[in-house]
Amino acid sequence: MAGLLGELEFREALENAMKGTMARDASFSRAWAAGKLQRHHFVKWVTNHYHYVGPFGDYLGLMYAKTPDTARDAKDFLLQNLYEEELADDRHTDLLIRFAEACGGTRADVMDRRNALPSTLGIQGWLYYISANEHFAVSTAATIVGLESQVPSIYRTQYPVLIDPNGYGFSEWECEFFDLHITSDEVHGERGYQIVLRYADTPELQQRCIEIVKEAANMRFFYTKQLYEYYVKPDLGEWVEEPVLSGASA
Amino acid sequence: MPEVFFETSGRRVSFPEGEEVNLLRLSLRHGCGVPWRCASGNCGTDRLLIVEGREYLSPIRRRERDRLGELAEQGYRLSCQTYTSGDVTVRWDPNQKGLDEESVAGQRLKARWLGGGEDPDSSVVDQHCLLDDPATADKV
Repeated sequence: MAGLLGELEFREALENAMKGTMARDASFSRAWAAGKLQRHHFVKWVTNHYHYVGPFGDYLGLMYAKTPDTARDAKDFLLQNLYEEELADDRHTDLLIRFAEACGGTRADVMDRRNALPSTLGIQGWLYYISANEHFAVSTAATIVGLESQVPSIYRTQYPVLIDPNGYGFSEWECEFFDLHITSDEVHGERGYQIVLRYADTPELQQRCIEIVKEAANMRFFYTKQLYEYYVKPDLGEWVEEPVLSGASA
Repeated sequence: MPEVFFETSGRRVSFPEGEEVNLLRLSLRHGCGVPWRCASGNCGTDRLLIVEGREYLSPIRRRERDRLGELAEQGYRLSCQTYTSGDVTVRWDPNQKGLDEESVAGQRLKARWLGGGEDPDSSVVDQHCLLDDPATADKV
């Protein structure tokens, strides 16, 4: 077991844990940024994304219950994040469904759990498990650092082609889900790092956080990759530029 | 390397040439003291007066314009919504609070909670209620 890492060293280890399996590098993300996807692919993406992030309030609520009142700043962050997801303005899942409807999908189909891939239900179940059972620094590392902090890097490559009149030509209103998360998850991600850096205060907790960030990145990468395999590959064939998956055995 | 000067706290943070950085994230990471509450452009607590370097900032977003109202014309930006790619100097009131009640976005939120309409932009309403004076038993 390594000793207690300094703040800079620990942060660098957390960042490195995601390298090689960032979701922006998965086939589905690359095909999206390259303008190769069709609207019916986006509807499938929304459907699966809904079942991945739709319960985000549940995940945060479970984490809130496991965070001690001695970590008031961490509790407040979770509550604020939950409020922003659900009540501060348009509910984030409604923004997501708005995009599906702009692509020809329906709210009912998106919300029907039977329309989600097994890999999507896998990441959802993993998130429920982590949120309910791990130390709050570890679950913050998983959900906020490993998953949410990736969002700006994903959507900043996907958003431009959506609103480009020569691309898909969606309106900004139809694509508000993406624009909102490009900015908000910059801040949420940074606060996530700060909470993990502060409260993972033993070598064991630090190492567990590093492991869980790697696991989270792998979960999101596979979730995204499966969207391509199942929905896009029959239309476009094999996608050829994918990073080698690190830290996973066959 | 480009630099953000957080004038009110006296902090300077540089970042790599060619990158775009979010102003609130930079402040949080380096302890530069910009006040904030939410990260979605809803509260307006994190508004900054851009003293120099406006030309390096990302275009103003709809949500940001709704929240700032006239302050946008006076040179304010919301740090959570704003990226810079070059030198910029910013200033703020360290005691400033949110703008929740005063803007288009605030009205929309109010309509959502008090009006209950499906289309918030067309359902902005004021509702008032009168409360009884406190009873003697309520007074300390």
